[in-house]
Amino acid sequence: MSAAIPSVACLGVIGRNNNPLHISIFPSYDPTANAFTPVRNPLQFSLLLSSTIDVFDLRSKNSTASGDFGLLHAIDDRLAAYGFETNTGVRMVCIVDMRGRRVEAGGSAGAGGPSQSSTSTSSSSSAAAAAAARASMSSVGAGLRDAELRPVFRAMQSAYVRLLQNPFYDPDEHAPLGGKGGRRITSKKFGDDMKRIGEGWTPGVTAL
Amino acid sequence: MDGYPLGSLDHNVPLIVVSGLNSDPPEQPPKANGRGLLLRSDLPPLESREASFLQSYFEEVAERGTSWTAVTRDEPFRVRIKTVGRSYVLPSRRAPLPETIEPLTTAPILHSPFSPLSPSSTLYPDGLINAEWIKKHQEAIPSIFVCFHTLTSDPKTATLQDNKLKADLNGIRAILVESGYKTRLVVIILGDKDARTLTADIIQDRLENIRRGTGLDPKSIFYVTPQESPSDLKRVMDSVLSLLYTTAIEYYRDLGRHARKKRSRGIVPQPTVPPTSGTSQTLSLSDWNFRYDFKSAIFAEFRQEIDAAIRSFEQAYEILLGQDVLDIIPSWSPRWNEARLLADIISIRCLRMHLWMGQTSMAVRRWQAHRDRISDFVEARGRGTNNYGWQAWEARWAMMMATLIEKTEVPGLGPSTMTIFLQPEKNLFGERLHPWELLHHTGYWYRIAARHLGARKALARRIPEDDRGAPDASPASRVASKAYRYDTYMCPPPHEEYPLNGKGVNHAQLIIDCLLMARGQFQARKQHRIAAEISLECAREMVTIGSWNEVLGMLRPLWEDKSFRSEWWLDISEEILWLVRRAAAETGRADIVVAIDWELMDKRFRRRENWHYDLSKSLDGVTLDSKPSISISDDLASSFLSASFVFRTKEGRAGETCLAQLSLKSEALGVAAPVTLSSIRVEFEGHLKPITLVHDAALPMNSAEGPISVAVVPLTEQLGGDEKKTKDECENEAEEGTQDEDEDKKDDADKDKTDEKEDQLTGKCDLTLRPGHRQVFEMNIPLREPGEASASTLILSYKADTFEMDYKLSLSELGNVTGWFVQGSVKPRLSRPNGHILHIQPRPPKMKLRLIEPLEQYYANEPIALRVGLYNEEDDSANVKLDIRIIGKGIPRFQVQAGEHKREVDAAEEESQVTDLTLGHIASSSSLEASIHLDPALAPTVYELQIRADYHLESDAATPIVQVLPIHLNIVNAFEANYDLMPRLHLDPWPSLFDYEDLQDVSEGDVVPAKGLTQQWCLVCHYASFATENLDVIGLDMQVTSVTPGGRCRVVNKPEFSADGMIVAPKTMYEARFDLVADKITLDDRHPVAIDLAFVVRWRRRRSIDGETSPVNVTTMIVGQYMVLGTEPRVLASVLHSSQEKAGLVRLDITIENPSNHFLTFGLAMEPSDAFAFSGSKQTTMHLLPMSRRTQTYRLMPLVRGVYVRPGLVVRDKYFQKVLRVIPTEGMKIDKDGLLVWIPPVQEADEKSN
Repeated sequence: MSAAIPSVACLGVIGRNNNPLHISIFPSYDPTANAFTPVRNPLQFSLLLSSTIDVFDLRSKNSTASGDFGLLHAIDDRLAAYGFETNTGVRMVCIVDMRGRRVEAGGSAGAGGPSQSSTSTSSSSSAAAAAAARASMSSVGAGLRDAELRPVFRAMQSAYVRLLQNPFYDPDEHAPLGGKGGRRITSKKFGDDMKRIGEGWTPGVTAL
Repeated sequence: MDGYPLGSLDHNVPLIVVSGLNSDPPEQPPKANGRGLLLRSDLPPLESREASFLQSYFEEVAERGTSWTAVTRDEPFRVRIKTVGRSYVLPSRRAPLPETIEPLTTAPILHSPFSPLSPSSTLYPDGLINAEWIKKHQEAIPSIFVCFHTLTSDPKTATLQDNKLKADLNGIRAILVESGYKTRLVVIILGDKDARTLTADIIQDRLENIRRGTGLDPKSIFYVTPQESPSDLKRVMDSVLSLLYTTAIEYYRDLGRHARKKRSRGIVPQPTVPPTSGTSQTLSLSDWNFRYDFKSAIFAEFRQEIDAAIRSFEQAYEILLGQDVLDIIPSWSPRWNEARLLADIISIRCLRMHLWMGQTSMAVRRWQAHRDRISDFVEARGRGTNNYGWQAWEARWAMMMATLIEKTEVPGLGPSTMTIFLQPEKNLFGERLHPWELLHHTGYWYRIAARHLGARKALARRIPEDDRGAPDASPASRVASKAYRYDTYMCPPPHEEYPLNGKGVNHAQLIIDCLLMARGQFQARKQHRIAAEISLECAREMVTIGSWNEVLGMLRPLWEDKSFRSEWWLDISEEILWLVRRAAAETGRADIVVAIDWELMDKRFRRRENWHYDLSKSLDGVTLDSKPSISISDDLASSFLSASFVFRTKEGRAGETCLAQLSLKSEALGVAAPVTLSSIRVEFEGHLKPITLVHDAALPMNSAEGPISVAVVPLTEQLGGDEKKTKDECENEAEEGTQDEDEDKKDDADKDKTDEKEDQLTGKCDLTLRPGHRQVFEMNIPLREPGEASASTLILSYKADTFEMDYKLSLSELGNVTGWFVQGSVKPRLSRPNGHILHIQPRPPKMKLRLIEPLEQYYANEPIALRVGLYNEEDDSANVKLDIRIIGKGIPRFQVQAGEHKREVDAAEEESQVTDLTLGHIASSSSLEASIHLDPALAPTVYELQIRADYHLESDAATPIVQVLPIHLNIVNAFEANYDLMPRLHLDPWPSLFDYEDLQDVSEGDVVPAKGLTQQWCLVCHYASFATENLDVIGLDMQVTSVTPGGRCRVVNKPEFSADGMIVAPKTMYEARFDLVADKITLDDRHPVAIDLAFVVRWRRRRSIDGETSPVNVTTMIVGQYMVLGTEPRVLASVLHSSQEKAGLVRLDITIENPSNHFLTFGLAMEPSDAFAFSGSKQTTMHLLPMSRRTQTYRLMPLVRGVYVRPGLVVRDKYFQKVLRVIPTEGMKIDKDGLLVWIPPVQEADEKSN
């Protein structure tokens, strides 16, 4: 018997000018095809990310000091968007697919991660994730608490900080002051970090 | 909600039938079986005003009764009221036996017409329950039957009427009892206005009489006294209804109890007639239990006992979906869908109750649970979920939730609250919830519904053609297989869903409607981005049905407010742009098509395969009536051309030129065709004329290869049609030579066109822009007027065969830092912010004004001459006027002279000026001199001179130019002096009082000889030159400016100078001695005499180099006043040095003067000294007569040489015992201890003698 557990479907970083800085999309498990495919196409994910700006704006009036917005909104019964805002106005969004992965309730991890056959590091991380997921499945039922997403945002934030520490990265180029738009992040390292975070997270993971 | 049988989902509230308020004709018994029971009364219906008011009020209450909102505890009642005339038909309680069947042996047990036991029922023999049953209770059988009557006030007919009423009521009661329904009968008697005449007792009696006569209990009869106003009546009626409400609840409680009793009996009732057709299956015990649970739940809902209702519903639901009911119904049977419908109805009712109780998360959970459960069932037992029918149901299910949220008016989720989702209720607070379990607003639900509708559409499109034909046209086997394959639960069969011929379900419209509802919700909560996303989805649907105008209407606002584009969501923008472009092309909106094509050229966007990316082909395939001319601005469509404008320098001067660069970079996709603009126009804010660059293919491009090319564009200035070539242009012409003629011809042609136009600068160059190429146009702009100029807008014009276009680009809002491009370098240099702003300073005057040979210092008492030179350095001759203005204190007379022009101005106190002194023309590079002569200033002072030349050039008479020369003249005194008046011994003898002759008044000539006393004084002047250079002093003079009358004073001796005078060096002290003699006219005059003196220096400047003699200036300095010829006695000492032979013997004369009228006695004592030996009386007494003087002589033999010796001489007034001061004269001095006499050194004398 297998059960679906949440996984990250998309990680997005939105700049101060409401411009997309980075979008990473992660495949979800599709039980009908028994394969991993993203639940939406990139355009739809862009739209989903941009729609969270509305919620950020709406909520920021009621000012959350910590920057952690928790659940922004659920798009439907499957996808939900969680958000975090840094004090420089950069917004990080994590779209969770509530049925993104499958675990065998019995014991052995079924389809642990989408990239099992890739590098050794990622497969080990996904194996760990699957183990954590099993643990979480046994202890609590379905569902997700806002706090469980915090490791994701912590990791995203530290990845972003690492990016900022790069002297060749000019934040103003990506969100010109008072201007509009801005370039996207092209750093491969940052992209890799996002990939690692997105693939490594399952409910119950405390550090990424 | 539509699709569910009528009444199946209504909010069940007690039903009350009110009769007697209107005169509706009596209802006919139901035709179906003709077995309805007629409740009727013969009494006339009420026709008073109150009656009609009450009827409308009851309608209002009934309207409220249909609401789906929660019934709170505060609400006194929630009922549905049916107002009828004097008659009402109750449905029959028992179904009739079908006529077709054979007569039965035993008496048949008849059941309700809605029971599956009755053959006449649609449920017969194995249906579960249907909405008809709910409807029966909600709409047909009232809990209370209310009769309205009046109480007649006519005492004669009162008894008769009351008896009639009694009979009537008894009749109704009897029928009700006969019907078997437990409907309560209630009588409400309205007192009419005449009833006021009746006393309370009479009314009480009559009511009691009626009550007893009809056997009603006291709670069932009401008397309403006539009320003053409708609101009072309403209030009374509200309280009556509240009372009736509890009665009604009681009624439904009885029914509920009855249902439970039947369930607990645990037997399966047999149908009236055993089924003979179909499967001849009847309901099992669990089916019956389901029925009873369902009924109790409905009755509980009637009573608004929500907990009980949910419990019963859930019980029924579990039975229904358990293994005994739905599991054993074959999926092809219509009963299967009926059971599904029941499951839906139960779930919806449960959801509604969860919402009523505020259990929002529970509701979502219940919603999901039902969906999952049904989906499992459909997968396992039905036709699976991979068909359009399932998607249709999913959509319906989501839509249902949205409707439910709206109709129950969930608190805190309305659009005004701006909440997106609700927090979970308290008892679920700590649980791990799915994000979706927090109840989101209806927009989300509509959107899910739309998504499922989309899936339904996609699945419907996949129905094979064989199944889409009408059933009568296809073989039976196919029909059967179709029935098995397609889930048609609450949706049309395949041949209607997507028929081969004709229209089927309009999926697109369904989706659009759903999306629009969702969009409304999102917009109300200011979630504009989702709303935009939904608009996009909507537009995509509209595309499929080809309603292009609607697509444009939907997306145009998004395009116009630049959603997503301004925030660089490129993939989204791209999607919108392509859709809008397609719609615009279909509807012939050329402007939008071109604007979007322009925008899409940008390489930010992904390249679309097989797209031409050629602006000239933009309108291919677009039907147009005429050749459009389109104008777009950068706030509507961003540009693939980035532009910057920069001036070479920050500042410029009017009359000069300034280099400027316009840089255009094409950011087009690499595959795009080069764009050739027809012209570029740069507009400025401030005093610069617009520049127009026109494309000229004949001109070669500077470098076609590199990423950047810089072209120098000569500009031609057009002054309102008047054409004048700038210098720069001329130079270029010289270089280009051969092209000139062609250009001139064109210019002539252009001239006619531009005649009407404003001034502008034009240039020609190649305006072709290749992708990725930066084209820089370097221009030399003539600056005309001072002020600030900034490049504001750029208008790019493009002309194709099919259209003309202007693109307006704002330059001031572009990136602030701009730089200067040079050929061969991609990066600009000298980047600076606000490079597009130029500060133009006024035209500088080139006329030079200066003082010719100015002197270092000017002095008081000398005439001052200033020579001003005007040197014209302009390129043209100038017409000059001169203004001279002097400010200071005590301005002397002055005159100005320039050539033959001359002006004189008198002295003034503070300000003096000469204006508009015409100097005439000064040719270029020549000069003119003007001189200013100031009369001598009397005292040191400061003058500020301002010399101002106003001129204009011959060539440009309109531009006044001003040059100013300020001069600061500090006039100082050339000399300063201090003075010392010292007494001297006048050698002439004093006149004697006894000399009569001398006292005679003799008048010989003009000079009156003085007869009074005479004194001699010496005025020592120490003067120094304060000038900065050596001066020649020609002479010194002492002027006696005034003497007290009766006295006289004259200068007897003064220093003499040679003709050339004496050179006086600056800052050096010089001494001049003047001897004065003062005397009085008469001896009798005893007053002292005051004399005022002035020291006059006649000087001149040293000879100038050219040998001219400077004029002699006279500086007069006031010495001050001195008092002479007093009456106090004086002691004057005088020395006389003897010749060398007499070994330096010194004679010291002590002269005592007594100008007083008294006889005075003085004692003289001479102390011996080491410094000298003396002869003369050591101690003596001198008697002086009035007006006399006497001299005592000492001879001193100095023992020392070259020093002062101090004769210890004391003169004492014997009478006053007062020591008199001995006043020294020449060769002596005095200090505080007494007199000092200078003894000349002897060596000198020795040497001289040798």
